[in-house]
Amino acid sequence: MNSFLRYTGAFVLLVALQLLIFNNIEFSGYVNPYVYVMFILILPVSIPSWILLLLGFLTGFVIDIFSGTMGVHTFATVLAGFVRPWVLSLNVTAEAAEDDMSPSARRSGLRWFLVYTVTVVLVHHLALFFVELFSFRYFFHTLLRVLLSTAVTTFFILLFDFIRPHR
Amino acid sequence: MRSLLNFLLRFKTLILFLVLEAVALVMISTSHNYHQTVFYGLSRNISGFVARRVESATYYFRLRSVNEELVRENTLLRRRLEELTARPAEGFTGADDSISGVNYTYMSARVISNSVNKQKNFITLDRGSKHGVEVGMGVASPAGVVGVVVGTSPNYSVVMSLLNIDFRLSTSIARNDYFGSLAWDGINYRYAKLSEIPHHVTVSEGDTIITSGYSAIFPPGLMAGTVTGDQKRGGDFVSMKVMLSVDFKKLTDVYVIGNLTREEWENLEEEVVR
Repeated sequence: MNSFLRYTGAFVLLVALQLLIFNNIEFSGYVNPYVYVMFILILPVSIPSWILLLLGFLTGFVIDIFSGTMGVHTFATVLAGFVRPWVLSLNVTAEAAEDDMSPSARRSGLRWFLVYTVTVVLVHHLALFFVELFSFRYFFHTLLRVLLSTAVTTFFILLFDFIRPHR
Repeated sequence: MRSLLNFLLRFKTLILFLVLEAVALVMISTSHNYHQTVFYGLSRNISGFVARRVESATYYFRLRSVNEELVRENTLLRRRLEELTARPAEGFTGADDSISGVNYTYMSARVISNSVNKQKNFITLDRGSKHGVEVGMGVASPAGVVGVVVGTSPNYSVVMSLLNIDFRLSTSIARNDYFGSLAWDGINYRYAKLSEIPHHVTVSEGDTIITSGYSAIFPPGLMAGTVTGDQKRGGDFVSMKVMLSVDFKKLTDVYVIGNLTREEWENLEEEVVR
């Protein structure tokens, strides 16, 4: 119950941060950080994949409703939830796979967390930016936006991971 | 047996994944009329409420530039009023006659949410169907064209910004009346591309681009931007870069433009074309 409340708090906080601050930040047309993906990243290692998918759907859906981009964030975040177990299984240690701890840099090392975050965020952003456009018309322009935004999103996720309470 | 079970479990996840993605894709593909759905109106009311609170807090910091813009527009309007009153009545119709061509009405509105950093940007206004805003009305700021209303709820309306890659504006070159289509290319929020200008037309840097008045949305002669260098010739047409007159990053006060004869206009066109 306690951890349920903790993750609900994280969800509300990340969605609010995204909608009230990050959606309004305009570094340039090339950088749109979507830090709410962090919610998918920090869910417990042992969480069943189907719950992960449903939570991805819920997260994307809430973001979509409030930013008027129907379905785009939903699609990208469900995909992020789908690839997360695969990315985890690629480089998770045997003892970690069993526990219900949240993946973090403090627990598994900065390098590990960086690779994990970049991979999932990149998949999410690729899906998001190309589905938003719904064409490959400006392929390289969009790819550049994906890469720059992934870098900035990753930076903020690492920052938040550093300052969030760990237990 | 165990591996079969594992396989089925993984398969279950895959099926759920595919179903959820399919739902998302359906939502995306129906999103072109999404702005008119009741559901969207509801969510607009919630997010509009939040956006309005944020907007009213930040509005004070922009008061100076808003004032400057309003003063500039006032001067322009005063000048135009002077021209109108000084001119002797022509023909039989006076300026206050209902058939003298007063076709457009204007209503002021405040921008409460706006973006310039996406490929498809939308703007939310604090006026909605309750105030008479309808889907298809034009929106302009004192500086020029802003967008078209695509959805309304009782208290709010959503405007497809000129900074939306799906937006096409029928414009003409003020100096010689040749018309072309103005659209944003999704790259820089200050510039858009004017295309479909015939090959033989000479366009020079600094030429003013205005609305053509060939649709019932905007009155003719509304400022859209100015030509900056960069002309591309290909086939029978020229395309060029246009600096937009509206700075979408500091958009606060706008007008919703209602066309009193729009229905008649569109009905007639539809009737004749069909």
